[in-house]
Amino acid sequence: MHTTKEKRPSYRPLVSNKVLQQTMGRYYALTSWHRYWGKFLRRPLAWVTSGAPVELLRAFNIHCAYPEQYAAIYSARKATVALCEVAEAAGYSQDLCSYARSNIGGVLRPDLAPLGGMPKPDLLVACNNICGTVLKWYEVLARHFNVPLLVLDTPFMTDQLTPQAKDFVIEQLSAMAADLAEITGRRFNEKKLAEQMNLSRKITSLWIETRQYCQASPSPLNAPDLFINMAPIVVLRGSQKGINFYSKLKDEIKERVELAQGAIENERIRLVWDNIAIWPQLFSFYKMFSEKGACFVTDTYSGGWAVEQAPGTPIESMATTYTEVFLNRSPKFRANQLINLIKEYRADGFVMHSNRSCKPYSLVQEVIRREVMRETGVPGLMIEADMADPRAYAEEPVRNRVQAFLETFDDLK
Amino acid sequence: MSNYYVGVDIGSLTVKVVLINNDLEILGQAKIRAGYHGREVAIRLEEQLLADFGLTINQVTATVATGYGRVTFPSDRELSEITCQAKGISHLFPSSRTIIDIGGQDSKVIKLLPNGKVADFTMNDKCAAGTGRFLEVMATALEIEWHEIGELVSSSENPTKISSFCTVFAESEIISQVSAGALKSDILAGVCDSVASRVASMTRRTGLETDIVFTGGVALNRGVVNALTKQLGYPLLVFQEPVITAALGAALLAREIRK
Repeated sequence: MHTTKEKRPSYRPLVSNKVLQQTMGRYYALTSWHRYWGKFLRRPLAWVTSGAPVELLRAFNIHCAYPEQYAAIYSARKATVALCEVAEAAGYSQDLCSYARSNIGGVLRPDLAPLGGMPKPDLLVACNNICGTVLKWYEVLARHFNVPLLVLDTPFMTDQLTPQAKDFVIEQLSAMAADLAEITGRRFNEKKLAEQMNLSRKITSLWIETRQYCQASPSPLNAPDLFINMAPIVVLRGSQKGINFYSKLKDEIKERVELAQGAIENERIRLVWDNIAIWPQLFSFYKMFSEKGACFVTDTYSGGWAVEQAPGTPIESMATTYTEVFLNRSPKFRANQLINLIKEYRADGFVMHSNRSCKPYSLVQEVIRREVMRETGVPGLMIEADMADPRAYAEEPVRNRVQAFLETFDDLK
Repeated sequence: MSNYYVGVDIGSLTVKVVLINNDLEILGQAKIRAGYHGREVAIRLEEQLLADFGLTINQVTATVATGYGRVTFPSDRELSEITCQAKGISHLFPSSRTIIDIGGQDSKVIKLLPNGKVADFTMNDKCAAGTGRFLEVMATALEIEWHEIGELVSSSENPTKISSFCTVFAESEIISQVSAGALKSDILAGVCDSVASRVASMTRRTGLETDIVFTGGVALNRGVVNALTKQLGYPLLVFQEPVITAALGAALLAREIRK
């Protein structure tokens, strides 16, 4: 086959994409202009990690912005290399996570960052349920901006959540509530927190339902769709705008399934994706698969936000839910998670992105890959790349592996 | 009328062409340095090989291209080296379950199912250590010809240690060993050990199952073959022309797609 550079989309565009753009556009505009309304409405701006207990912050009327999410946008808009170089020149190692590097680069040189960079935070909230890097990264930010840093330490789960670990997290959440009361000058209102949890529950179940439609053949969504449509579940969890968007998305996906419309033309091979998206190559990378009829029907990454809240009081529920995040759990748990996805979505194989930036996600992948292959009998491919830094992506070797992998599904006769 | 099938493997260093007939007999084969014009070199090489048998390109039933230059070569189908290598080796050695292939710029381990299909594979990533290019750079640094390596290594009694995994750093390591007065044979033995250790660990990662076939240009190098045999603890099967096995697989696959 001869590859051509023609711009024919190999995926079916979503009508609800317009609502997504409106919803996210409004959020970015609000965030960018925070300095004009934040003080006036007594709504401080917090920079938070993707696994931070955002419902608690929202209960204090705090506006949240996500450096990880901005970093993904920097990458999709091809600004990461320039921003990373700024951070590297300032002394940060090339081995540091590319989200952290490009975020720090954007702090030092906002003029190089898309969306004008992130607006200055009033406080920082980091939770180590996704990785340990966020602690040092946010310490750097706290020193730079001279603002308070609140940390939630969720103990790594080798098996089940122990009562001691749960109590430990509950205690920290209560302390965090007290700190937030002091910072915002508002009283902690448990009823308001419960409302936020309810809204979160609603948006999460919509995201879960939407994803489950992809168990159909052909799958109505492919990985890039999942990655693009996950933005509101990350940044607008607990907002009515987010709920409205996912209701529309869900309806559209339901209709696609009823009409047997696949995300890609001629779905032939169903795959599961593991690890963060390769943002700088979002379309070109996944096109290597879609043009050969291979569709990523589900993934562990955007699936990280499709987890139901644990039972209990709002604080108890948050403690469990945020500690049980899959990146905070054993390789055994993660292998089972993939095995179940392969079974539930009737996948023919899986692809793991060994992500140079994300150590907790990537380090144990080889062990998991072998376990999943043994357990399910389906092949698994490992691709070496980076979620944001295109310098870690070598097109030709990647193409080689992808082609070889996809050929294993063919009977070449 | 007999049918003819051609497999073309355009690698990073060498172009290989294999011609087979309907009875899966290898009628002829040819190889040449690829250089900058890999595609043109491959087209000419194929024409020459066919001419040796009084054939023209129009008499070939199907051609499959593989290797780094596969996309630009005019063929009926382009297939990855993994698929072609698996086909070629399982044809030559039906008992093989593990293939270790060290070529010019990559090394790979392929695990085969009993039916010869690919079960799993691992490739080196973004690094030339443990490849043919690595050996070439080291041979150049020591001012010897590539094919002399095997002979020299067999006389080594005290192999040196090359600790670096990086081709560039390993080269400077060798230069300091030379100035420290180490014997060429000992340094080369160290180089072979270093390649073997890298590939052996990749093999174990993919899961070692016998029989093991060693192929690709580096399989011609006795120094590496011996070092790898020692490190894996199993004998290695090597085809007499290990450079052409992927091209052979491509030719066999050309026959399958047009049978």
